[in-house]
Amino acid sequence: MADLQVNICGVKFKNPVIAASGTYGFGREYNELYDISQIGGISTKGMTLEPRLGNPVPRIAEGTSVILNAVGLQNPGAEHFIKYDLPFLREKGLVIIANVAGKTLEDYGEICKKLDGLVDMVELNISCPNVRAGGMAFGIKPQSILEVTRVAKGGLKRTPLIVKLSPNVESIAVNAQSAEQGGADCVSLVNTFTGMVIDIEKRRPVIANNTGGVSGAGIKPIAVKMVYEAAHAVKIPVIGMGGIMTGEDALEFMMAGARAVQVGTANFANPNAMPEIIAQMNNWLDSRKIKSINEIIDTVIMN
Amino acid sequence: MKDLLSVVKSNRAVAENIYMITLALPESAGALHGGQFVNLATGDNSLLLRRPLGVCIAEGNELSLCYQVKGKGTKKLTEAKAGDELKVLLPLGNYFDLSEYKNIAVVGGGVGVFPLIAAIRENKDKNFYSYIGFRNKSAVCLLNELEASRSLKVTTDDGSYGDKGNAVQSFLADAEKLNIDAIISCGPPVMLKALKSGLASLGIKKPCFVSLEERMGCGMGACLVCVCKTSDGKNARVCKDGPVFEINSVEL
Repeated sequence: MADLQVNICGVKFKNPVIAASGTYGFGREYNELYDISQIGGISTKGMTLEPRLGNPVPRIAEGTSVILNAVGLQNPGAEHFIKYDLPFLREKGLVIIANVAGKTLEDYGEICKKLDGLVDMVELNISCPNVRAGGMAFGIKPQSILEVTRVAKGGLKRTPLIVKLSPNVESIAVNAQSAEQGGADCVSLVNTFTGMVIDIEKRRPVIANNTGGVSGAGIKPIAVKMVYEAAHAVKIPVIGMGGIMTGEDALEFMMAGARAVQVGTANFANPNAMPEIIAQMNNWLDSRKIKSINEIIDTVIMN
Repeated sequence: MKDLLSVVKSNRAVAENIYMITLALPESAGALHGGQFVNLATGDNSLLLRRPLGVCIAEGNELSLCYQVKGKGTKKLTEAKAGDELKVLLPLGNYFDLSEYKNIAVVGGGVGVFPLIAAIRENKDKNFYSYIGFRNKSAVCLLNELEASRSLKVTTDDGSYGDKGNAVQSFLADAEKLNIDAIISCGPPVMLKALKSGLASLGIKKPCFVSLEERMGCGMGACLVCVCKTSDGKNARVCKDGPVFEINSVEL
């Protein structure tokens, strides 16, 4: 049994496999299938100060090895999370990362302040492609990333801040550096790529929102490259994600420089994906007599 | 809820573009009720979403599901042969809870008939009055499964089988003389809308339970992809809070 523990910004994870925001709710449903205390952590469904209803349906479409979603930040609000979901997750003993979004800079500051000290980490969602105001609007230009990070950090005295980066940008390295300059303790990437699927019989996009965020196995090589670039542009830790379906996929991200990974779409294809990924990572390390997962982080040798 | 590796027993066309696939489950997943569904892998790993299919016939550890061939995933499913293995997550969603009712009208349209068959099969002590509509003769299927009904009226849109018309029209024509306690229904949105307005205009206040369909992600309530609007302006998850809803509690 290899040691899978990682430490990110002083937060201890029993293993580096974290549920990605939006695919896992607040963990309750997956806990009906398996004990979610096995996974390293959860990044919650993206939360806002007030409850939101999200986009019209259909909210999902499929391509080859990818899916697209445009849920549009439907969530019960931060207050509801603190009252109903946080106590449940606390009992589970996994790292709780609150994924947060807002319409304005002030929203980001306020929601961070509300969650400060209550959760283990806050992940700033400035890269949601499916909402009109806020979301990705803050996550494209280096200067706005710096500003929103600074405001969020201002609301967090005790809880480390992760900034989740959009891949729909000119330079992921520059944007990661902007988050670092703004005071981020960590960056996570990639959020989804914007895309469209058209129903040729109806001559209309499948998703009511027309466009959605592309995720799943098909985006993995692009995500690995971006994680590599970000990890080598900043000193703060990087959490990698984008199309991880197996333990081997997760190891690729960690070799590229990620200290931990998030798993999202794989949960749809295989609802037991996360426990299986953890077991596969362990088996890979064991079979190569590698004692700790930390020994493989950032070990890719470029040609 | 379990994710099981099922073995395909058979997979055959039961009407034009409609297939019935029978799966052997390696273990019991508990009782499977009419209205509940399963999330079935297609057998093509490049399709990351499972296909949510309503329980049609559940006997012991064997489960039969029916599906209409609509896109890549259902087309791939038609290729599944006896002996093939497919992952299946089940049971999912709520069901037609008929414990308080004795005389029940069944209004089904097209592929909406399959979950209703499951409800009829598991409630052998109740009286069902079934009104089933299909597009045309080539879409008619599984009528033998509906024979347990006290009465059965079949319609087709073009009159090529049974009476010309649709299930809602034929039910509403009988509705006032039927002595029923409840109605269960499943079918295309346009049909459910017609049922809702028909019941309202006839002043029929019996509880009416409808099973809804929506494009789904996880199928288990986590991803908030498959929502419907409730009458109080909120969202309900079709996969977890439904798929069965009282007709007046949701916007159709």
